[in-house]
Amino acid sequence: MPDLEITRVFDDPRELVFAAWTHPDHLASWFGPHGFTCAAVTLDPRPGGRWRACIRSPEGEDHWMHGVYREVSAPERLVFTFAWEAQELETLVTIGFAGLDGKTEMTFRQTGFPSAAERDGHHEGWTSSFDDLTGSIRGKDDR
Amino acid sequence: MTTDQLSRTFSALADPTRRAILARLSAGEATVNELAEPFTMSLPAVSRHLKVLEQAGLITRGRTRQWRPCRLEAKPLEDVADWVATYRRFWDGGFDRLEDHLRSLTGDA
Repeated sequence: MPDLEITRVFDDPRELVFAAWTHPDHLASWFGPHGFTCAAVTLDPRPGGRWRACIRSPEGEDHWMHGVYREVSAPERLVFTFAWEAQELETLVTIGFAGLDGKTEMTFRQTGFPSAAERDGHHEGWTSSFDDLTGSIRGKDDR
Repeated sequence: MTTDQLSRTFSALADPTRRAILARLSAGEATVNELAEPFTMSLPAVSRHLKVLEQAGLITRGRTRQWRPCRLEAKPLEDVADWVATYRRFWDGGFDRLEDHLRSLTGDA
Protein backbone atom coordinates (compact mmCIF):
# COMPACT_ATOMS: atom_id res chain seq x y z
CA MET A 1 0.00 0.00 0.00
CA PRO A 2 -0.70 2.30 -1.63
CA ASP A 3 0.82 0.35 -4.47
CA LEU A 4 -1.14 -2.70 -5.48
CA GLU A 5 0.90 -5.88 -5.51
CA ILE A 6 -0.33 -9.35 -6.43
CA THR A 7 1.82 -12.47 -6.71
CA ARG A 8 0.57 -15.60 -8.45
CA VAL A 9 2.19 -18.89 -9.38
CA PHE A 10 1.10 -20.54 -12.64
CA ASP A 11 1.86 -24.16 -13.61
CA ASP A 12 3.33 -23.12 -16.94
CA PRO A 13 6.69 -21.86 -18.17
CA ARG A 14 7.18 -18.12 -18.10
CA GLU A 15 7.47 -17.91 -21.88
CA LEU A 16 3.81 -18.94 -22.07
CA VAL A 17 2.66 -16.69 -19.22
CA PHE A 18 4.52 -13.76 -20.78
CA ALA A 19 2.87 -14.51 -24.15
CA ALA A 20 -0.52 -14.47 -22.43
CA TRP A 21 0.09 -10.75 -21.87
CA THR A 22 1.68 -9.85 -25.19
CA HIS A 23 -0.27 -11.83 -27.81
CA PRO A 24 -3.70 -10.35 -28.56
CA ASP A 25 -5.48 -13.70 -28.94
CA HIS A 26 -4.15 -14.88 -25.58
CA LEU A 27 -4.93 -11.61 -23.84
CA ALA A 28 -8.47 -11.45 -25.24
CA SER A 29 -9.29 -14.84 -23.75
CA TRP A 30 -8.69 -13.81 -20.13
CA PHE A 31 -8.47 -10.02 -19.80
CA GLY A 32 -11.05 -8.53 -17.47
CA PRO A 33 -12.66 -9.61 -14.21
CA HIS A 34 -15.09 -12.50 -13.67
CA GLY A 35 -18.20 -12.23 -15.83
CA PHE A 36 -16.59 -9.82 -18.28
CA THR A 37 -15.45 -10.53 -21.82
CA CYS A 38 -12.66 -8.82 -23.68
CA ALA A 39 -14.45 -7.30 -26.68
CA ALA A 40 -11.42 -5.81 -28.43
CA VAL A 41 -7.68 -5.74 -28.06
CA THR A 42 -4.89 -4.27 -30.14
CA LEU A 43 -1.31 -4.17 -29.00
CA ASP A 44 2.17 -3.33 -30.17
CA PRO A 45 4.43 -4.82 -27.50
CA ARG A 46 7.68 -2.91 -27.85
CA PRO A 47 8.96 0.11 -25.92
CA GLY A 48 6.86 3.10 -26.97
CA GLY A 49 4.25 0.88 -28.63
CA ARG A 50 0.60 1.36 -27.72
CA TRP A 51 -2.07 -1.01 -26.50
CA ARG A 52 -5.81 -0.59 -26.31
CA ALA A 53 -8.51 -2.93 -25.06
CA CYS A 54 -12.21 -3.02 -24.32
CA ILE A 55 -13.88 -5.17 -21.69
CA ARG A 56 -17.64 -5.78 -21.72
CA SER A 57 -19.61 -6.18 -18.49
CA PRO A 58 -22.30 -8.86 -18.05
CA GLU A 59 -24.81 -6.04 -18.64
CA GLY A 60 -23.18 -5.23 -21.99
CA GLU A 61 -21.45 -2.06 -20.90
CA ASP A 62 -18.12 -1.40 -22.63
CA HIS A 63 -15.07 -0.05 -20.80
CA TRP A 64 -12.09 1.03 -22.88
CA MET A 65 -8.56 1.31 -21.56
CA HIS A 66 -5.21 1.99 -23.14
CA GLY A 67 -1.56 2.65 -22.49
CA VAL A 68 2.01 2.62 -23.74
CA TYR A 69 4.63 -0.10 -23.28
CA ARG A 70 7.69 1.08 -21.40
CA GLU A 71 9.67 -2.14 -21.21
CA VAL A 72 9.15 -5.46 -23.00
CA SER A 73 11.81 -7.97 -21.93
CA ALA A 74 10.53 -11.43 -22.79
CA PRO A 75 10.08 -13.55 -20.78
CA GLU A 76 11.14 -11.65 -17.64
CA ARG A 77 9.60 -8.26 -17.36
CA LEU A 78 6.80 -6.18 -18.81
CA VAL A 79 6.10 -2.53 -17.97
CA PHE A 80 3.27 -0.45 -19.38
CA THR A 81 1.04 2.49 -18.53
CA PHE A 82 -2.65 1.86 -17.92
CA ALA A 83 -5.51 4.34 -18.07
CA TRP A 84 -9.28 4.05 -18.38
CA GLU A 85 -10.43 6.19 -21.26
CA ALA A 86 -13.26 7.59 -19.13
CA GLN A 87 -10.76 8.82 -16.50
CA GLU A 88 -7.70 10.98 -16.34
CA LEU A 89 -5.59 8.99 -13.94
CA GLU A 90 -2.67 7.20 -15.56
CA THR A 91 -1.14 4.31 -13.65
CA LEU A 92 1.96 2.19 -14.18
CA VAL A 93 1.90 -1.59 -14.30
CA THR A 94 5.11 -3.59 -13.76
CA ILE A 95 5.05 -7.37 -14.08
CA GLY A 96 7.93 -9.70 -13.27
CA PHE A 97 7.98 -13.32 -14.45
CA ALA A 98 10.28 -15.64 -12.51
CA GLY A 99 10.85 -19.24 -13.53
CA LEU A 100 10.33 -21.91 -10.84
CA ASP A 101 11.14 -25.40 -12.22
CA GLY A 102 8.88 -25.00 -15.22
CA LYS A 103 6.33 -22.94 -13.28
CA THR A 104 6.06 -19.18 -13.24
CA GLU A 105 5.88 -16.79 -10.32
CA MET A 106 4.24 -13.65 -11.63
CA THR A 107 4.65 -10.50 -9.56
CA PHE A 108 2.22 -7.81 -10.58
CA ARG A 109 2.45 -4.21 -9.39
CA GLN A 110 0.35 -1.17 -10.14
CA THR A 111 1.00 2.31 -8.89
CA GLY A 112 -0.95 5.55 -9.21
CA PHE A 113 2.09 7.74 -9.67
CA PRO A 114 4.00 6.47 -12.69
CA SER A 115 6.56 9.26 -12.95
CA ALA A 116 7.62 8.95 -9.31
CA ALA A 117 7.76 5.16 -9.52
CA GLU A 118 10.12 5.38 -12.45
CA ARG A 119 12.23 8.05 -10.86
CA ASP A 120 12.51 6.04 -7.67
CA GLY A 121 13.59 2.93 -9.56
CA HIS A 122 10.13 1.34 -9.47
CA HIS A 123 8.74 1.54 -5.97
CA GLU A 124 11.83 1.98 -3.84
CA GLY A 125 10.66 5.35 -2.61
CA TRP A 126 8.18 4.13 -0.07
CA THR A 127 8.93 4.33 3.61
CA SER A 128 7.60 1.44 5.63
CA SER A 129 6.12 3.88 8.14
CA PHE A 130 4.00 5.38 5.38
CA ASP A 131 2.87 1.94 4.24
CA ASP A 132 1.81 1.20 7.81
CA LEU A 133 0.00 4.51 7.90
CA THR A 134 -2.26 3.88 4.92
CA GLY A 135 -2.93 0.36 6.15
CA SER A 136 -3.91 1.51 9.62
CA ILE A 137 -6.03 4.38 8.36
CA ARG A 138 -8.05 1.95 6.32
CA GLY A 139 -8.08 -0.56 9.14
CA LYS A 140 -8.92 -3.37 6.79
CA ASP A 141 -7.06 -6.20 5.19
CA ASP A 142 -7.40 -5.89 1.44
CA ARG A 143 -5.58 -9.07 0.61
CA MET B 1 -14.35 11.23 -5.31
CA THR B 2 -13.46 12.22 -8.86
CA THR B 3 -10.40 10.84 -10.60
CA ASP B 4 -9.14 14.42 -10.75
CA GLN B 5 -8.99 14.48 -6.98
CA LEU B 6 -7.43 11.04 -6.93
CA SER B 7 -4.79 12.25 -9.40
CA ARG B 8 -4.10 15.19 -7.11
CA THR B 9 -3.74 12.86 -4.12
CA PHE B 10 -1.35 10.57 -5.98
CA SER B 11 0.62 13.52 -7.24
CA ALA B 12 0.97 14.84 -3.68
CA LEU B 13 1.99 11.39 -2.46
CA ALA B 14 4.60 10.96 -5.18
CA ASP B 15 7.22 12.82 -3.16
CA PRO B 16 9.08 10.90 -0.42
CA THR B 17 9.42 13.98 1.80
CA ARG B 18 5.67 14.53 1.72
CA ARG B 19 5.07 10.89 2.56
CA ALA B 20 7.45 11.20 5.50
CA ILE B 21 5.59 14.32 6.66
CA LEU B 22 2.29 12.41 6.55
CA ALA B 23 3.83 9.52 8.45
CA ARG B 24 4.96 11.97 11.14
CA LEU B 25 1.50 13.57 11.31
CA SER B 26 -0.10 10.18 11.86
CA ALA B 27 1.43 10.35 15.35
CA GLY B 28 -0.40 13.63 16.02
CA GLU B 29 -0.50 17.24 14.87
CA ALA B 30 2.73 19.20 14.55
CA THR B 31 4.01 22.66 13.70
CA VAL B 32 6.07 23.52 10.64
CA ASN B 33 9.18 23.75 12.82
CA GLU B 34 8.60 20.32 14.27
CA LEU B 35 8.00 18.87 10.83
CA ALA B 36 11.17 20.46 9.44
CA GLU B 37 13.40 19.03 12.19
CA PRO B 38 14.20 15.63 10.66
CA PHE B 39 14.87 17.08 7.21
CA THR B 40 17.89 18.92 5.94
CA MET B 41 15.78 21.49 4.19
CA SER B 42 14.74 25.06 4.82
CA LEU B 43 11.47 26.08 6.42
CA PRO B 44 10.23 27.61 3.15
CA ALA B 45 10.90 24.29 1.39
CA VAL B 46 8.92 22.42 4.04
CA SER B 47 6.16 25.02 3.77
CA ARG B 48 5.93 24.41 0.03
CA HIS B 49 5.44 20.70 0.66
CA LEU B 50 2.78 21.48 3.25
CA LYS B 51 0.98 23.68 0.77
CA VAL B 52 0.84 20.83 -1.76
CA LEU B 53 -0.48 18.48 0.92
CA GLU B 54 -3.05 21.05 2.04
CA GLN B 55 -4.26 21.67 -1.53
CA ALA B 56 -4.65 17.92 -2.02
CA GLY B 57 -6.75 17.80 1.15
CA LEU B 58 -4.28 15.48 2.86
CA ILE B 59 -3.69 17.88 5.75
CA THR B 60 -5.42 20.85 7.34
CA ARG B 61 -3.79 23.75 9.21
CA GLY B 62 -4.95 25.17 12.53
CA ARG B 63 -6.20 28.74 12.70
CA THR B 64 -4.07 29.97 15.61
CA ARG B 65 -1.96 32.80 14.23
CA GLN B 66 1.55 31.99 15.47
CA TRP B 67 1.05 28.27 15.87
CA ARG B 68 -0.68 26.73 12.89
CA PRO B 69 -0.49 23.02 13.63
CA CYS B 70 -0.81 20.61 10.72
CA ARG B 71 -3.23 17.75 11.03
CA LEU B 72 -3.58 14.63 8.91
CA GLU B 73 -6.86 14.20 7.04
CA ALA B 74 -7.75 10.55 6.54
CA LYS B 75 -10.29 10.78 3.70
CA PRO B 76 -7.91 11.06 0.69
CA LEU B 77 -5.82 8.18 2.00
CA GLU B 78 -8.98 6.13 2.42
CA ASP B 79 -9.79 6.87 -1.21
CA VAL B 80 -6.35 5.63 -2.23
CA ALA B 81 -6.94 2.45 -0.20
CA ASP B 82 -10.32 2.03 -1.96
CA TRP B 83 -8.61 2.52 -5.32
CA VAL B 84 -6.15 -0.27 -4.48
CA ALA B 85 -8.96 -2.58 -3.31
CA THR B 86 -10.96 -1.97 -6.49
CA TYR B 87 -8.01 -2.76 -8.73
CA ARG B 88 -7.18 -5.82 -6.66
CA ARG B 89 -10.63 -7.24 -7.39
CA PHE B 90 -10.24 -6.31 -11.07
CA TRP B 91 -6.89 -8.08 -11.52
CA ASP B 92 -7.55 -11.03 -9.20
CA GLY B 93 -10.58 -11.90 -11.33
CA GLY B 94 -8.54 -11.57 -14.50
CA PHE B 95 -5.73 -13.74 -13.13
CA ASP B 96 -8.25 -16.47 -12.22
CA ARG B 97 -9.35 -16.39 -15.83
CA LEU B 98 -5.72 -16.39 -16.99
CA GLU B 99 -5.14 -19.55 -14.96
CA ASP B 100 -8.18 -21.18 -16.62
CA HIS B 101 -6.93 -20.07 -20.01
CA LEU B 102 -3.46 -21.58 -19.46
CA ARG B 103 -5.04 -24.83 -18.26
CA SER B 104 -7.22 -25.02 -21.36
CA LEU B 105 -4.08 -24.68 -23.51
CA THR B 106 -2.10 -27.38 -21.76
CA GLY B 107 -5.10 -29.70 -21.41
CA ASP B 108 -4.75 -30.48 -17.68
CA ALA B 109 -8.00 -28.77 -16.72
